[in-house]
Amino acid sequence: MASLFRAYGRGLGALLLAIAALWILALILVPLGAMIEQSLWWKDSKGEITLQIDRLYNDMATLQLDASGESDAAKKAGFEAQIAQKQAEATALEAQETNPPKTYGLANFTRMSGLHFYIFIRTIIYALMVTALALVVCYPMAYAVALASGPRKAIVLTVALIVPYAINELLRVYAWLMILDYRGVINGILGWLGMVDLDNRGWIPFLENPSAVFLAMIYTYVLFMVFPMVNTLETLDRNQIEAARDLGASSFRIHRRVIIPHAKPGIAVGCIMTFMLSAGSYSVPAIMTRGQGGDWFSQLVYRQFFESNNWNMGSAYAVSLLVVCTAFILIMMRLFGVGLRDIAK
Amino acid sequence: MRGKDVRLDQVSIRFGDAVAVQPLNLTIEAGEFFSILGPSGCGKTTILRTVSGFIEPTIGRVLIGGEDMAGKGPNERPTALIFQNLALFPLMSVAENVAFGLEARGVSKAERLKRAEELLSLVALTGYGDKKPSDLSGGQRQRVAIARALAVEPSVLLLDEPLSALDLKLRQHMRAELRAIQKRVGITFIYITHDQGEALAMSDRVAVMSRGRLEQVAAPDTLYAEPATPFVATFVGEQNVIRGTLRRISNGAASVDTPLGPIEGREVGTPAIGAPVLVMVRPERVTLGADRDNRIPVTLKARHLEGPSVNLECVADGQTLTVTLANGPAMRDLPNDLVLGFGRDDALVYAEGALANG
Repeated sequence: MASLFRAYGRGLGALLLAIAALWILALILVPLGAMIEQSLWWKDSKGEITLQIDRLYNDMATLQLDASGESDAAKKAGFEAQIAQKQAEATALEAQETNPPKTYGLANFTRMSGLHFYIFIRTIIYALMVTALALVVCYPMAYAVALASGPRKAIVLTVALIVPYAINELLRVYAWLMILDYRGVINGILGWLGMVDLDNRGWIPFLENPSAVFLAMIYTYVLFMVFPMVNTLETLDRNQIEAARDLGASSFRIHRRVIIPHAKPGIAVGCIMTFMLSAGSYSVPAIMTRGQGGDWFSQLVYRQFFESNNWNMGSAYAVSLLVVCTAFILIMMRLFGVGLRDIAK
Repeated sequence: MRGKDVRLDQVSIRFGDAVAVQPLNLTIEAGEFFSILGPSGCGKTTILRTVSGFIEPTIGRVLIGGEDMAGKGPNERPTALIFQNLALFPLMSVAENVAFGLEARGVSKAERLKRAEELLSLVALTGYGDKKPSDLSGGQRQRVAIARALAVEPSVLLLDEPLSALDLKLRQHMRAELRAIQKRVGITFIYITHDQGEALAMSDRVAVMSRGRLEQVAAPDTLYAEPATPFVATFVGEQNVIRGTLRRISNGAASVDTPLGPIEGREVGTPAIGAPVLVMVRPERVTLGADRDNRIPVTLKARHLEGPSVNLECVADGQTLTVTLANGPAMRDLPNDLVLGFGRDDALVYAEGALANG
């Protein structure tokens, strides 16, 4: 901090610090804090209280009936007292119903149903699969772009990669929907070739398979995998590749021993980004499966917020996802032996 | 390890329309320390990459040990290349670097680490195996690169200006070291450089290249004393170049008319009588005094003290002539008007041709 003041002077230094603090506060601490706070409390379910109140009023009505038919003053007074007591109870419960007390605890996290937990685990596994597939697809591509001979080839490859990203993500997903749909492009071609019978609903149901989501996701997030890899691969001294070849190494060994170790930070960043994006992706599974291919966890979170109207539960789900993703980042960094410093580069 | 001879048979290399190497024949003997010397862009690196197999010649054949190398990749040739920037693998330890070629050949780990240790001791780096290349000094990295190349037991070691990144002191030390290593392992070294000092100091023979053509192939002493072309004469060492017209030749002796007066010299090649010629005189062959075959009165312009020697910058008829003399008491107070003298054997007379520096 002292060096900051020395470098920029007191006024500018303080301004920079303030901007950094605001950044951290507004973009990290406040939203995340709000989410975690929300996930740590719940209000007792309204349904039960309402039932209790209903029961009390039923009881009161019965007691009133009993009281009106009773001639013994002492007994009548007893009923009246009971009614008054129930009325007090009901009033108290009614107050609770309109403004239920918050209860703090971890119950939101432990209350996840077995089905939801299954979806959670499956989403993580799917996201890992998407990441692995994207890595397999993108590594050769990144290698070709980064080590392309001649600047023109590199430009062509880069433009070919970036152009699809000028189109809105939703449109790109819908495009894949059209390609894979029952009467989509692929089935259409197959039908035209006479390989499937569209008239009798003999199409291939691509969209009911998780791989349709995988495909759209890889397509959607390819750039986030490719660019970090290209960046690190571009810094590789080509002489090292030639040296390895000159020393008799096969292409496979050159990749394994020279190129991939060099590209590790880029691979780690690409995997982290792709995993985070696919584990949290809502639009791609929602559009591609249309409810037919099984939910992803992000869809559950959405429903908790906007359909069950249970923001606490939704927050708890979201925080769980965040924790797992963070753990994934740390594992990846450990696995690839890269530190934050390498990634920042 | 045993050296093999390398033969370039009518080799020519083109990149598109650009001719990088004009058709040339060159034979490098087995076990020879052979340098290819030339300014950057003269095609010397292209030749090296052709021998190592990264480039196929457009026409002609490359033969190593009598065997045609056509269609063989760099990993199939009995050559090893040391890159200008060394291209050590930064993420591997020194021992892994040295053992990489053996690893690629499927040698077991214990075996190759043992071999790496032997090679490291050959280049005086015993015990450095566990370090990373980045922990070593420039000269040590240099030696790791040599050990790594030697590990695959090449018959021909190709070196692409590997000393250019080192500072002067280290460079001079490494010259001697390279030469000693070459003598010890006895294989053929082909050394690419633009530094004539390196080429002269280390080589058995030197080829001088310019614009894709071989200018001269000769032993260092011959190259310096008897340069075959004006380019070689001016590229290797310093020269005073005096332009003139050839008046007479008899028996190798040439008489030239120059603006500085007539000069008696020795013809190189076959300049025609009456044609424009270049007279070349090395600064260290010139003396002060009038008792020589050729005499040129000059004005002393500047005196540069080098330590053991003194360079005198003289002017005659608008042309600068440089003289290198041994330092001594007589060099302290020189008169402004001097007479430079040199023998007729010291002046080489060439037909007009391209010079090394424009």
